[in-house]
Parts: sequence; structure tokens; C-alpha cells
Amino acid sequence: MTGKGDKERIALSRLANAFTDDILSASDEDILTELKEAGEDPAKNAGEMRALFEKTVLLANKKRLSAAKAGAASVREVFAAPVTSAVDIRAARARLRQIIEAPSGAHKVTLAARKESEMSDSDVLGMLDDLVELGILSRPNDADSD
Amino acid sequence: MSLSQAATTRSRDEVAAAIRTFTPADWARLKRVAAKYAFARPISPEDLIQEAFVRALDTRVCPSDIDVVKFLAEIIRSVADGEAEKVEHKAKLVPIANTGGPDDLAYDIADEAADAEVRLVEAEHAERCVAAHAALVALFDDDPTAQLILEGMMDNMAGEELRELTGLDKVAYDSKRKAIRRKIAKHYPNGWKP
Repeated sequence: MTGKGDKERIALSRLANAFTDDILSASDEDILTELKEAGEDPAKNAGEMRALFEKTVLLANKKRLSAAKAGAASVREVFAAPVTSAVDIRAARARLRQIIEAPSGAHKVTLAARKESEMSDSDVLGMLDDLVELGILSRPNDADSD
Repeated sequence: MSLSQAATTRSRDEVAAAIRTFTPADWARLKRVAAKYAFARPISPEDLIQEAFVRALDTRVCPSDIDVVKFLAEIIRSVADGEAEKVEHKAKLVPIANTGGPDDLAYDIADEAADAEVRLVEAEHAERCVAAHAALVALFDDDPTAQLILEGMMDNMAGEELRELTGLDKVAYDSKRKAIRRKIAKHYPNGWKP
């Protein structure tokens, strides 16, 4: 289907193609004369075109740098080690033992907890959490206040 | 890119290095080519050239045996044609919601009312082409031979056919064709403006 102006648009496009072939095969002298006749100074035009090219290179490099940074960030995200809270189990056991063996006996600790050496690591940590929740212990970060 | 392909194409740095060695005549060629493609199109020669630089450095592959000026000229043509197509087709199809995967795009005719602005751009582009075409032909009203060659070029006629039609020998024909190009360049140094 052709619309209004299609015939002319195609005609202009063909003309541009034909002229481009001519321009590319024209002698340097001819093409410089044509540019001058169009009111342009060849040296000035060359300077402006070079500046445009260098500006484009700079922009393209910035774009590539941004893309590379974004790529590196996503790779870091994918391969980053999972965030884990480091727990010093020896310190946790020592802390629980200290509570169990406290001479004051003020803390009401269950019988099971009295056998700390027989408890699994997760039981030790669970017990400490329970004590914190009961308000008997402060959080490890607040250890200074214990 | 395979090793054999790499050996027969220019790297990005090689393309950039070749452009940096362009002579004033090379730059003049590029400018004139861009001016021809920007003629009656809603884009400036400088924008066409800059976009060609971007594509030459980032997405296009330049064969080693192709002159870099020709390589850029071909990109300029491609950019200009793409711009024209954008104006012509963007009003016609719009994506619609679908239940398939991300690649299963479905299209529908754009909403007539919402499209009014785009249709206006389309109409303006069409009018610009009609007016520019008429202006170019009228420029050679005083030279029927030149006018015949110009119209023949616009009809995609081969040089041989046009030489036969005008009765010119190769030298006279080439000279006439050059004169036509230079007259247009001189008359419309910044392209055709409405």
C-alpha cells in the first residue's frame, strides 16, 4: 500500500543513493570544490568533524565503562558469599557454662542445660536465646552490660 | 567472532585509528553524503554522522577490505532509512497485552485518537517529501537535459539508459551528473527546508 508522499520519498532516497556513489568515487579536488561551493571551508569542516568524532568516542567509552561497571556489580552479586552471622560456638558454650556454674544459683536453668558438654551446638545457641528472651541474659552485643 | 572473521574485519580501535587519519577530502565526502541523506528528512547531517560514529564503534563490523569512508557512508544511509521508517510505521502498530511468554509480543492497530500526533508527524514528513521533490525538479526547469537525468536517477534508471535517453556520451553524461549534484549542493547547502 502506498500513501501520500511515498513515491517522492522513494525517489529522494534513490537520488541520495546515486549521489552517494558519485561522491564516494569523486576526486578529492571535485569533492573539496563541491564543499566550498556549498559555502563550507574544508579545513574547518575537517576540524569540526574530528571534534565530533572524538566527542562521540568519549561518550561511547563512558557508556562502555558504565555497562562494564553494571556487569561487574551483577557478577559480584551472583558470586558473593552468602551473608552469615559468625557465631563463636566456643564462646557461646563458655557463656552458658558460666551461667550454669554461677555460685549464686540465681538463674533457674533446666537440668538438661546443666550438662552443657552433652548439648549440640544448636541446643547451646537455642538455650542462650531462650535465656535472652527470658531476660536472664542480655544480647551478646550488650555483653558489657552483663 | 571467529579467528578467521577477526582476521578479515577491523577492530574497534582500527576503525577509530582509520577515522583519525581522514583527510579534509574524506571529511568533505562524509559531510556531503550525510547532507544528501538528511535532505528532506527530519534529521541533521551532523546527527546522522554522529550516529554513524556510534554504530561504527559499537555495533557494526567493518570488513578489512572496505574503505572506512564507504563503511561510514553505508551506516549513514542505514540510519537515515531507519529514521524515515520510524516516522512511517510507528503509528501503525502497538503492542497489546498477551498471556504468552516475554517473546510472544502481540500487536494491534494503534488507538486512532491517541495516534493523532504521530499521524501529524507522518503527514508532515509526506508533505516535506512531496515539496522537496518538486523543488528539486523545478531547480532544473532551465535545463531539460539535467532535469531528465535527475528524474531518471529518481526512477532508478541506470546510467546507460539515461545516456541513451539524453544522447550524451559517457564524459558529457558524467559531467552533467556532477553539475546536477553541485547545483543542488550549492542551492540547498543545509538540505531542503520547508
